[in-house]
Amino acid sequence: MRLFRHHTALPRLGAALPPLVLLAGLIAPAPAWAVQVHGGAEGYLVHQMAHLFLAAALIFLLSLLHRRPPGTGRPWRHLKFSLLLFLLWNLDTMTVHWLASRLPESAILPGATPAGDRILLPADWPWLLYYAGSLDHLLCVPAAWFLLLSLKGLATTVSHRPPAPPPPRTSA
Amino acid sequence: MISLPLLPVYLVDSLGAALMIVLAFSAFVHARRLKRLEPANFLWTFFFWLTLTLSALAISRSFWHLVRYLFVLAGHEEIWQAVRPYSGGINSLAFVAAAVVTFYYHNTEQVVASGRREAEALRQANDELAEAHEALHQLNQTLEERVERRTRALRLSEEKFRSLFEASKDLILFCDQEGRIADINDSGLELLGNGRREEVVGRPFADFFLDPEKGANFKAEILRHGHVKEFESRIRGADDSCRYLLLTAAAIRSEAEGYQGCQIIAIDLSHFKQMTDQLIRSEKMTSIGQLAAGVAHEINTPLGIILGYTQLLAEDFEENPEVKETLATIEKHTKICRRIVADLLKFSHPAAEQRMRPGDINRCLEEVLAIVEHTLNMDHIFIHRCLAEGMPPVSFDPERLRQVFVNLVTNAHHAIGSEGIVGVWSRHHPERREVEIVIGDSGSGIPAETVSRIFDPFFTTKEVGKGTGLGLSVSFGIVNDHNGRIEAHSPPLDQELAAVGMRTAFHVWLPVAAETAGE
Repeated sequence: MRLFRHHTALPRLGAALPPLVLLAGLIAPAPAWAVQVHGGAEGYLVHQMAHLFLAAALIFLLSLLHRRPPGTGRPWRHLKFSLLLFLLWNLDTMTVHWLASRLPESAILPGATPAGDRILLPADWPWLLYYAGSLDHLLCVPAAWFLLLSLKGLATTVSHRPPAPPPPRTSA
Repeated sequence: MISLPLLPVYLVDSLGAALMIVLAFSAFVHARRLKRLEPANFLWTFFFWLTLTLSALAISRSFWHLVRYLFVLAGHEEIWQAVRPYSGGINSLAFVAAAVVTFYYHNTEQVVASGRREAEALRQANDELAEAHEALHQLNQTLEERVERRTRALRLSEEKFRSLFEASKDLILFCDQEGRIADINDSGLELLGNGRREEVVGRPFADFFLDPEKGANFKAEILRHGHVKEFESRIRGADDSCRYLLLTAAAIRSEAEGYQGCQIIAIDLSHFKQMTDQLIRSEKMTSIGQLAAGVAHEINTPLGIILGYTQLLAEDFEENPEVKETLATIEKHTKICRRIVADLLKFSHPAAEQRMRPGDINRCLEEVLAIVEHTLNMDHIFIHRCLAEGMPPVSFDPERLRQVFVNLVTNAHHAIGSEGIVGVWSRHHPERREVEIVIGDSGSGIPAETVSRIFDPFFTTKEVGKGTGLGLSVSFGIVNDHNGRIEAHSPPLDQELAAVGMRTAFHVWLPVAAETAGE
């Protein structure tokens, strides 16, 4: 009987909520923020979260290929190398973005020509890592290269594969 | 603080960006090729979209890295600063899109895999169903063929046994648990019921035994041993005739319900029995004839001497009437003895002087009837004549055969006593080259146990002194001398005779004269 009462109390509260909100609005009026403003570091955070999202997806895909490999052979190994390098590149760029956000713009010392540009960094290993990490194409280009090899190998394999037989017809 | 050159970074960025574009688009081309080769493969679709997002990322990043340097080198960094957020935004979108495609791939792959598993399971179930259907179809066909084969074999077997049952000339019948006749073949019906099924089916088989005790024994034997072999019995046939049957029976039992009845096969031995009896009687008569002839021969001489001396003594005592009367009595009885001896010799030996000549047997019969008719009429006995016309001549001794017919008519007279009918028939059997004479009477009939002895010498049912018992014996001997045969039936075998009231019938068969038969 108590349970019945407990269940019947919720719809009553739900029905009473809109009039209560309306009443509160009338008692305590304030300016309405219909559109949220995105500014400041929001772009940086969105970009970092996108990197994180992609890194999670790559880890997930690698684990999936490890747990339930769809095939064996060189193209699939190349695919794993590619994904691993893309993951490392992703982590690298996230790190570089984070360190870059802490670096003042005055750290870049423009030269007479772009070839003369220099960067002034603290003599500490994270900043040395930042400098090395800025060369991120050393990771993503091999990753794309292994992806190309993998897909090329798969395409060759599939093109040489005999066509699948038609499904057997069941006799009536 | 350390100062490091940015040129290596710029160089790697520029070159790497260009390579990324080339590699990403090359990968996209191969992914698209894979998708075209196997459109149904979801993994290739995933690679297609992944490389597409990668290509978008490559363009975006190249814009970031390459265009940036172009604007900076051209001295329009402010333009770069305006475009930069768009490039970063596109980069972020490309990352998210690649991640979404990856996660989406997994979920869709799971759905597709699940669908494939279900489709595979469905296909397997369909295959199994098809196999089961095929097996069932074959089983059904095999069963149908087997049933058809068995039915055909059963029908053939049934036809075979039905034919055996119906066409058999022996009696075959089936009895139920109570011993009632459940089914019987046509021969059995003819034998027991004149072909009328309703008179036979449903009746206890034991009722047909003339000796009820034997019927009970027959049933008890079947129940005790499960079978009966060569059980000889007299059975009441159609129209109450006596049939001698040799019975063989087997019980019908089922494991569940035990005794169900019996099947009986009977061979009709009536004719065989009749022939055997005739043979035995013939042999007996021959033996008796030989004995009688020996005795008669031995007695005949002393009787002649007694008669001769008696006659001589009678001449010597002509004046003494008392002695003469005694001698006359001796002479009279001696002559009676001589007549008996003469009859015995007639029974046992062919007549010393045969006067056989072809003649009309009907005429012989008419002569006899003319003599005896008056006597019969005195006792209100009337003669029914039915003599066939065109009878062939028969070779016979008229005097001796007349004696046979007189004996038979006299016997009929004695059997009737007074008021009755004596029937006389003659007929020709061309197929056997015989003529048949039947003399019947409407008298008391002859008991079954007596019929077989009536032709024995000295056998008589008359009172002492009224007959010597040699009449039929002498007739038997005379007919035998004529190469014929004589039989007595009481009641008559011929239903036509019974229908006109005859209780006893004597049949005499004589061969047709040789010349006529030869023609």
